[in-house]
Formats: sequence, structure tokens, C-alpha cells
Amino acid sequence: MAGEVMVVAEQVGSKVAPVTLELLGEGKKLALKLGQHLTCFVIGHNMQDAVQEVIKAGAQKVYLADHQELAEYKTLHYRRVIVDELGKWTTPPHTLLMGSTTTGRDLAPRVAAFFETGLTADTIELDIGPYEHTSGTDETKLGYFPECLYASRPSFGESLKARILGPWKDPQMATIRPGVFPKPEMLDSAPEVEVVNVACNFQGSDYRVEIKETIRELETKVDITAADVIVAGGYGLGSGEGIDLLKQLADCFENSVIGASRKIVDLSWIDYPHQVGQTGKTVRPKIYIACGISGALQHRVGMQKSDHIIAINKDPDAPIFSFADHGIVGDLYQVIPEMINQIKSKRNSENKELKNA
Amino acid sequence: MNNKDLDIYVLIKQVPDTRSKAGVNPDGTIDRAKAGKMLNPFDAYALQAALNAKKMGGPNSKVTAVTMGPPPAIDILYQALEHGADNTLMLSDRRLAASDTLATSYALCQTLEYAFKQNGRPGDLIFCGLQTTDGDTAQVGPEISERLDFTQITYCEDFSISDNEVHAKKIIEGGTQLVKAQLPSLITIANSYQKLKFKTLRGAQFVQDIKRSSKEEQAKFVEIIDLDACHAEELRCGLAGSPTIVSKTWKIGVVGGNCKMHQGKSVPDLVGEVVQGLPILEEFVKI
Repeated sequence: MAGEVMVVAEQVGSKVAPVTLELLGEGKKLALKLGQHLTCFVIGHNMQDAVQEVIKAGAQKVYLADHQELAEYKTLHYRRVIVDELGKWTTPPHTLLMGSTTTGRDLAPRVAAFFETGLTADTIELDIGPYEHTSGTDETKLGYFPECLYASRPSFGESLKARILGPWKDPQMATIRPGVFPKPEMLDSAPEVEVVNVACNFQGSDYRVEIKETIRELETKVDITAADVIVAGGYGLGSGEGIDLLKQLADCFENSVIGASRKIVDLSWIDYPHQVGQTGKTVRPKIYIACGISGALQHRVGMQKSDHIIAINKDPDAPIFSFADHGIVGDLYQVIPEMINQIKSKRNSENKELKNA
Repeated sequence: MNNKDLDIYVLIKQVPDTRSKAGVNPDGTIDRAKAGKMLNPFDAYALQAALNAKKMGGPNSKVTAVTMGPPPAIDILYQALEHGADNTLMLSDRRLAASDTLATSYALCQTLEYAFKQNGRPGDLIFCGLQTTDGDTAQVGPEISERLDFTQITYCEDFSISDNEVHAKKIIEGGTQLVKAQLPSLITIANSYQKLKFKTLRGAQFVQDIKRSSKEEQAKFVEIIDLDACHAEELRCGLAGSPTIVSKTWKIGVVGGNCKMHQGKSVPDLVGEVVQGLPILEEFVKI
């Protein structure tokens, strides 16, 4: 009999991270397919509100490790409560999910190595389905497995998406990119569900790492995920000065922002908060204007769900044209000024009409 | 300072060279046999971190570069020596084929344990790149750290070592953190760390010399071992030792094809077609 679907919640300042809610939403679907409960492992300090929040998002049972040592994420302390609790279960969770954040990417591999189980990184699709293992040197692995966790992720540089599974050992683990799944509809009030208090038996060795200072940018100055229009630049800009041109185009629109490919962030032409793609943000604006971006898979996964994609590129064979809605083949240093020009003149003529009316 | 001598290890990997177009098929897939090879770009930061750490330790501190891969991966070990690494070690065995991250972390852990034993004591520091460009998982480092029971600092942007502790600045969600960790420690280096410096003259000369020397002499600096040498259980390596498999792949580089292309006309015409053809643009134009 399969175990439950468990989401390990992530928190900052006792507040549940958005990715946790997204995972609860998706985890619910997996739990339904398995005929199992969706549970949530909440770790932190003063987490009462957070517990209510995860229940509203769909958790049917909560494991709560609430301790002052857990107020901030610490690898060894968080690892301790998870491996101690799950280590004593006779039936481990079927599926164990965490966000693919700096925290999840730090914690999940430690838990996976402890349980000697599989872990799929940076997943973008989840499902439950069958798998038959018919060949291989290890005969103990042969067989038909009706309920595997399917975790799919892009394989970079190869333009492939790969489905990864491992039904031989539970928990079947995956980290999932924030922003890939929508936030679930939240219940107005939290129903009564069981909350299990988890023991926190920290060992001396858990204190080998000490946090001296945490510096959080309280407000991220740029939030590209909330923009309606994103004007994004890539290596085709040629130099960091091209960013100015993008700004001029973005300025023509309401609620607009500059986006960037990983390459130009690595080159320090623009700051990391602007980065779109696998190692940056996932965005779904109404309009995405990709300027000098080739459209490599790692960029594509971060923006392909935009409503309308306009691509400007010199190279007619650039991959971006395979999934954009409108493709302009040309020099962006000619195309963008002309675009600004036409948008402005159109606006001016409309304004005149308004005045005349 | 007054640090003890530090035994420093840096884990590096050879990956397909994605900077050039060699070996890249028209559909975007990679022909690994034809593609060039290079040091994983993320590992270059880790190598520089290891070399910097050596200067923070006592006078007999040393850096050992470790890799797992097929025989041609020896190139990146020579590269590490050219940059100033003191020693190298490679685990190479056909039985490692198709290892996932868990099996890889097991095999590398056995390799490190082998090195610790040869050296007469466990390592103090292990540096890793944040992730590889061909796997992109960032999992192997923390998995090794769990197996060796090391402290762990991921996404490290800067560090110093004093009183046998690591003081590090690391990236966290929405900010940065200063932490202090006891040795032994495994550190994954963010790509905001210092870039790898040029090869040293001495290192380049050294590599020339050992490449010309006898096999026995080469083996002193570039040691190649197999699973048996590091007492790795075969069933925990390669395909058999991997709890996950890739059950299916889809090509996704060439799907779509609904893009309305605008080309071969004057720039005002091209832009005009798009601006006129996409009424939704107007909704967001500033008035």
C-alpha cells in the first residue's frame, strides 16, 4: 500500500513560501490519483498561522516541528527533524516534494542521501503513472509498477524534456521550480485536521554551523513576475548599453519591466532579479518581447507561458522563433527604435482623436 | 590566521562544450561523441576557491582535484594541475555508466574515502561547483556532505578560514547570510565568486614535465583508480545503484511552429505588421 504525498513547507519569518502553496495544489492531484492523503511537514518557530495556511491550501494532515532553533533555515537542524521523524515510520511517504529554491536545493539532497532514495531536481511537471522495468542487470528491479511518481525536467543543451522515475524506493523525491504550478484556491477557513507535533532532538553535531547574520532585501526592488509587459534582452544586444534601448521600449507600456537571459546576467549587464528562465524567474506576462534572445531551453521554460511572445532576432533559425507568436527577423537596433516610434505615433494619433471627440 | 595545514579537495567534472556548435544536431540535441569537452564552467569557480583556501591554511596545505568520468576526462585534471592543484585523482570504471546523482555521490564518496586513507587523515574541505551544465541538479555536493557527515555551505559567494572554522557569505532566498561552520566542511561555490585565474607558469611547466615522464611518475600526480580500488560495491554504482532512471524523453526544441514570421521587408513594414496585427499591445500602451 502506497504511503502519502508529503510536501515539506518552506518558510521565511514564519510565513509560508509561495512555492509551498503551489506544491500543495499540485500534490493534491497526485494524492487523489494514489487514493492517499496529502500531508505537509511544517518546520519553523511560531508556526500556528502557517499551519492554518497550509491546511487552507489543501493539507489533510500536518507534521509540525516548532522550535526556536528552527526559526531560520539551518541545514543540519532541519535535516534532523525530517530524518528523525520519517526514519521511524514503517511506511514512508510515497512522494516527498520540496521547492527548488536555495533552501530546498540545500536540504532535499541531504534527506535523499540519508534515505538512499532518488531525487529529481528542478522538476516542471508531476504526475502518477505506471512503469514496467523489463531490462537491466539488476534483476531485483524488474517488474511492473502501477503507481510511480513521474517527475519531468528539461535537460539543457539537449533540448529534451526527460521523465524521471524511481518506484523501487519510497519516498520518491523531487524538487519543483517555484512559479511552475499555479497557487491553489485557498479555503476560506481551515477545517479541523490532525496536527502531529514532531520531536526536536537536536544532537551536538547539529550545532556545527552558526548563523552570524541574515541580510534580507525586505522588498525585492524588481518583481518581474508581476508585470504585464516584459521587454527582455539577450546576448544579441551586443553590450550592456543595449539595456537602455530596452528601457525606452518598456517605458511605452504600463506595468512593464526589463527581463534578461542568464547569459547577460552572468556578464553583469543587468542584475539577477531580472533573470528569466530555469535559474531565474518563471514569468507569465500578457506580452513578452524577446530581443536578441536565441531562446535556449533554459530561457524558454521561464517564459513560454506568456500570453503573447514577440521575438526580435537577426538569425531566422534562432530557436525562439519555434515558439514565439510573432517573429521579426532583423537588427534589434533598428527594429526597437522603429517599434517605439510606431507605438508613440499611434498613441499620439489616438490622443488627438480623444481630444477631437 | 595560524591555521593548521589544510587538506583541500575540489570535485570537478568534464562536460560537453556547449559554447561551440560542434556536435550540436540541427534539432538541438547533442552528439556527445562529436561535441567538444570542457571543464564544467561552475567548477572553475570551485577550483579557484580551493586554490584560495590553500593560501589560508598552513604551509603544507594542499589541493587535490578529483573527478569521475571516462578516460578522456584526465584533461581536466591536467588543467587543475596547470592552475596550481598539487595532486589529482580520477575514478574511472565502465560500471559507473548511467549513474544518477545518488549513485554518483556514493562513488565519489568512496573515492574521497580512498584519498583520505592514502593521505592518512580525512579531508578538511571539499569544494564543488554549484551544479554542472550537463546535469544542472546541484545535488551531488550535498549528497556527499550527508554521506561524509560534513558541515555544508551551499551557494557560497565568499569565505575565509580562521581558527579552523569557515566564515562564509552565502546566498539564501531573498538575501544573503553570514555563517560560521566547523571543519570538515563541504562548500558549493556560487558563480558570483572570483573567476578562475590564469594558469600559473610553474603549473604549466609542471604538467609539461609530467606528461613527458614515465607512467609511474605520471601516476604520482594523476592517479586513476577503479571501483575495486576504492572498495565501492558494484550494485550501488551505475545503473544498478541508481534509484532513478530516465524512462522517456521528448524533443522540445522544435515543436510549436505557429510563429508568424516577419522578414525580408523594410524595418518600418516589419514593425508595422506586428504593431497593427497585435491589438493587445494597445491595451498596455501608456496614455
